[in-house]
Amino acid sequence: MNDIDQKLQAGLRELAADGPREAPASVEERLLGELRRRTRARRRNGWLGLGAVAIAAGLALTMIAPARMHHVQAPAQAVVSTEAFSSRAAADPGDDVALSFYRLPDSDELPPLESAIIVRVQLPMSSLRLIGLPVSDDRAADLVEADMLLGQDGLARGVRFVE
Amino acid sequence: MIQFRLAFPLGVLLAGMAIAQEPAPPPPHSGGDFQYMHARMGMQKLVKGAPYSAQAVSQFTQTLADGSHIQRATTSSVARDSEGRVRREESVGAIGALAGSTASPKAVFIHDPVGGSSYVLDPASKTARVSQPRNFTLNSDAPGAHEMHQRTEHAGSQAQVKTEELGTQTMEGLMVQGTRITRTIAAGQIGNEHQLLVVTERWYSPDLQTTVMSTTNDPRTGISTYKLTSVTRAEPDAALFQVPADYKVTQGGAGHGRSRQ
Repeated sequence: MNDIDQKLQAGLRELAADGPREAPASVEERLLGELRRRTRARRRNGWLGLGAVAIAAGLALTMIAPARMHHVQAPAQAVVSTEAFSSRAAADPGDDVALSFYRLPDSDELPPLESAIIVRVQLPMSSLRLIGLPVSDDRAADLVEADMLLGQDGLARGVRFVE
Repeated sequence: MIQFRLAFPLGVLLAGMAIAQEPAPPPPHSGGDFQYMHARMGMQKLVKGAPYSAQAVSQFTQTLADGSHIQRATTSSVARDSEGRVRREESVGAIGALAGSTASPKAVFIHDPVGGSSYVLDPASKTARVSQPRNFTLNSDAPGAHEMHQRTEHAGSQAQVKTEELGTQTMEGLMVQGTRITRTIAAGQIGNEHQLLVVTERWYSPDLQTTVMSTTNDPRTGISTYKLTSVTRAEPDAALFQVPADYKVTQGGAGHGRSRQ
């Protein structure tokens, strides 16, 4: 320990012996004021940030929701309108999975299938009456997409609704 | 405050854009009962050693209450070679009593069980889409169809079905065997005042193992007729069962030619 260190140590002992010291009241007041101002600013910025996030989320939902609602609501309409289908078939379950068609009521007596094509159509529910399916009046104008299974004679043997 | 001043008009702007991006309502139907979107192969019966080519004519006639008629006819081409390859060239303008709002684009279906490939050709765009025959089940228990099944089964259980053999005759140079199936819908069963007879006749060629003519007369909808004409039993040109060289081949995907307006 050299001379400088010894002087510094002695000075610190004297300072400690004087007891605790406090900043002048004016300094404390300015410090607390500054602290409160910064806290308010942080809170305001936080609310603004939260608001921006909320607005962004709301906008995103606004943009996405109509498309989703279009898909989600459609089966419900189908349920009500046909009073028969509790759900729609999945769009395309994959080539290795057999598509399940509902056999049309009047297709039993048609000639056996020798070749068939699957035709996707868009049609109002009311059109389904022409192939023997029950459709309620309140949803007759709704548009749906469906796969029609057509035989070699062009007549439909089955139908499945596409989600 | 500056952030808020910026955020508010930005939000209003984005909200406006969001409203503008709402999906457009479905296109209106310009007449017709359905709008064709696309088609793919379903199944093809395999028959070897019985080649032929023919035109297949499908007709539908409906008689209206005032005595006038609605008539529609579509013609397609069919060819099959000795190996069982089949080519069908057709457009879907009607499905029985359902009329298409527009004529669908012509599609060519090639099924090649020898090469293990099947295609749907779009002559307009000169594209060939690989389209293997799709497995399917045809039943009354399809998803969601339970209640409908009960309703239709109830009606069907009260219908009487009679099958008659009609003997043989010659059509298009082919010996064909006839079968008639008559379904009687009793009076009152579906609200009908009198009994209804739905009659289907089928004339089948054992040589070609194919239906040469069939008719279905349903008083509720009309008369549907299918008939093979211009039948020739010569071996078709092998090129008919191949994808033309100038066609672009694509794999899978949606079906042929969307025709939405």
